[in-house]
Amino acid sequence: MDNRREKWGYKGIAGVIPNFDKTVRGYLNLITSHMDHSQIDQKPMIPLGHGDPSMFSCFRTSTVVEDAVVGSLRSGMFNGYANTSGIPSAKRAVADFLSRDLPNPLSPDDIYITSGCNHAIKILVSVLSCPGANILLPAPGYPYYEVNCESTGIEVRHYNLQPEKGWEVDLASVEAQSDENTVAIVLINPGNPCGTVFSYDHLLKIAKIANKLGIFVISDEVYHGLAFRSKPFVPMGVFASIVPVLTLGSISKRWLVPGWRLGWIAVNDPNRVIRETKMSDTILKYMSTSPQPATFIQAAVSDIIEKTEEDFFYKTILTLRESADICYALIQEIDCIICPHNPEGSMFAMVKLDFSRLADISDDVDFCCKLAKEESVVILPGTAVGLSNWLRITFAIDLPSLEDGLVKLRNFCNRHK
Amino acid sequence: MAPTTQIDSSLKNGYQSNGKVKNNNSCSVIKCNATLAEQKISIRGLVGKLLSSPNPDKEILSLGVGDASAFAAFREGRDVSRCIMESVNSGTFHGYPPAHGFPFVRRAVADYLSWGVSQKFNEKDVFMTVGGTQAIQVILTVLANQGCNVLLPRPGFPPYEATCEINHIEPRYYDLLPNSNWEVDLDQVRNLTDSKTVGIVVINPNNPCGAVYSRSHLTKIAETAAELNLPLIADEIYGHMVFREAKFVPMASLCSIVPVLTLGALSKRWLVPGWRCGWVAISDRNGALSQVRMAMERLMNVTSGPASIIQAALPGLLSDSNDEFHSNVVKLLESSEEALFHMIQKIPALICHSRPQGSMFMMVQLDYSLLKGIGDDMEFASKLMKEESVLILPGTVIGLENWIRIFFGTPPDLLKEAMGRIMSFCSRYA
Repeated sequence: MDNRREKWGYKGIAGVIPNFDKTVRGYLNLITSHMDHSQIDQKPMIPLGHGDPSMFSCFRTSTVVEDAVVGSLRSGMFNGYANTSGIPSAKRAVADFLSRDLPNPLSPDDIYITSGCNHAIKILVSVLSCPGANILLPAPGYPYYEVNCESTGIEVRHYNLQPEKGWEVDLASVEAQSDENTVAIVLINPGNPCGTVFSYDHLLKIAKIANKLGIFVISDEVYHGLAFRSKPFVPMGVFASIVPVLTLGSISKRWLVPGWRLGWIAVNDPNRVIRETKMSDTILKYMSTSPQPATFIQAAVSDIIEKTEEDFFYKTILTLRESADICYALIQEIDCIICPHNPEGSMFAMVKLDFSRLADISDDVDFCCKLAKEESVVILPGTAVGLSNWLRITFAIDLPSLEDGLVKLRNFCNRHK
Repeated sequence: MAPTTQIDSSLKNGYQSNGKVKNNNSCSVIKCNATLAEQKISIRGLVGKLLSSPNPDKEILSLGVGDASAFAAFREGRDVSRCIMESVNSGTFHGYPPAHGFPFVRRAVADYLSWGVSQKFNEKDVFMTVGGTQAIQVILTVLANQGCNVLLPRPGFPPYEATCEINHIEPRYYDLLPNSNWEVDLDQVRNLTDSKTVGIVVINPNNPCGAVYSRSHLTKIAETAAELNLPLIADEIYGHMVFREAKFVPMASLCSIVPVLTLGALSKRWLVPGWRCGWVAISDRNGALSQVRMAMERLMNVTSGPASIIQAALPGLLSDSNDEFHSNVVKLLESSEEALFHMIQKIPALICHSRPQGSMFMMVQLDYSLLKGIGDDMEFASKLMKEESVLILPGTVIGLENWIRIFFGTPPDLLKEAMGRIMSFCSRYA
């Protein structure tokens, strides 16, 4: 009997269960576990490692957004199941929203409504995975891609982003990594973790290379519209006539409601390259057994997209710009930390540690653990996003806390010279 | 591992032998996950197909899908949406929920599930999932290992099979006995089990049969599972939805006999399938499932769970201030089932062997000797829709050919009208 007991246990199917430790949450858990809770009163935690600013009042969503979802609930009409690809009004609203900036307008049929951008990633990675296939991911990047690729078996290959060139894509590394089994390249723009906004010209180059290599582009635009300096955000779908583009997005960042879990995949495919393969059907089949976003939240999407006032976005952009400026300025004052590129979009800055100016710190993870312990400041080590010995700093936090946190960072660095 | 997808011959002309399409807008042949590409038809797929060709002169009446949310009659009593509106307007629940769910939410579900169960649930035993759908996926994913199989009821719920396929688990079916209140054929369960079986799924109250198992039958199931060293996967999506003399007995109350993984959701009891809020709860007295628990924690660490604003509403939703709402729902179901059963008795071609005492479904056998010109259940469903615009689910898609599944989670009037049409349909083919 005893030897049969074991079959109740989980037996080494490491490939199937994603590795939590390598996710952002996993690293943040590790870092925060080092905090000294005995001094939590004098030194309350300052989070500079997260991707969710909604807890700060300066980043609270618009009442229009809240009213939209209360309205759809109140109607009582959206408590039932939705269609697999999403309810028509949500698909139409997203199609119209994205089409504002595209030469080839999207139709509702090009849109799949997902449970947030993470779910969209999971769907695409699952649909694309088959033996021998590989996908190109940015380094540094967003580890959720790697985690999902690991559990579906698709091979990951990294291309570099170049810090000395404003974190632009190293096109030579893209070509070098690609072969006949490469299915797609993932771009994250505006960038997480680097805070970049790619220029039109740069995106055009990427489109042309993708075309040449015969791979399509997955453009992760979850930070759509959060470009806060002069460089405008250009959706990759603009180049869809050169290469098919699968755009990912959500209401999480622009509308500041990440907990609501509402995102999308948009198929920009005017030449019907993707459409004529099995891929659209396969996406639908995967989604039909996959957890869906709540129907009433879907029903609120059209009001959320169409009625949120411009002032709200303007205020968010201003707040982010101000925070980024303060972050950059304060980092400049710290000898052992170098910020190669002043962030111009999203919520993050990638900064490099100069170990020649740091004593008794072995690597970025060690740096962050010690920082959490001594100052209760939480920053994400670059290892989490694919660049060891760098740090990712989130500046989307209320200004007083940001300043406080960065001053404490400076003090920490001075102490460890 | 799934075989490599072959080049699809239906693709555009002009691809090279290495599989890349090279034309002006060159893009490689997009090889897709073969398992997904070949998935069999689902309830959704079939329902969609049936609904596409109704009788244009008759309004569609659906007795095919388990969704009662559209009927105002079921929403008497407390407005369950209010709880979510409060969480939205508080402004404090817009951020990502923690993995596994907010602690106060897990606690509320643990307390709710501990009713009638001597070994109380702890908040750490509960994992919030995106509806019953994700609960099924999580459980099967963590139990799966190379070459394993799982025991599923027949007739049953097709998403189990679909999830098995994606996880490379072999589904094995045990019969529910139509003349014995759809009880589990335990001898067959014993015969199907081997060293690679990882669990047995039991759906109670039952979809599609409407059966509510007695404590004595559940005990026999638990004892059999224990004897075979199988954990029980207790699908209690229709938990507490029982009428007449039937009593709902949570499988967790038998966890001293065998470890239990309970899955449930708001979907049916609160009539909100679109809210996508469910849970998995572990009852594991002796630690036999400790590795399964760990795998579940790890797996769910990288998923987002149900929407934050819905989770935050759970304590209010699960509280007993909603009892009036729940008893109204059950009363309505009971009268609809009553109406349905009496009409079935008047239709000789349709036979109900064991009357439902819970959930929202009845399984009905077709007597083809009284249905000339109809060869199988799919044809019955298709002709019924074409001629009468009534939707029922053919049993083939849930594992029992020559039967149909009728949903009675509708107001009695609608049910009577639909059954009236079914009656005239059957008499035309008599």
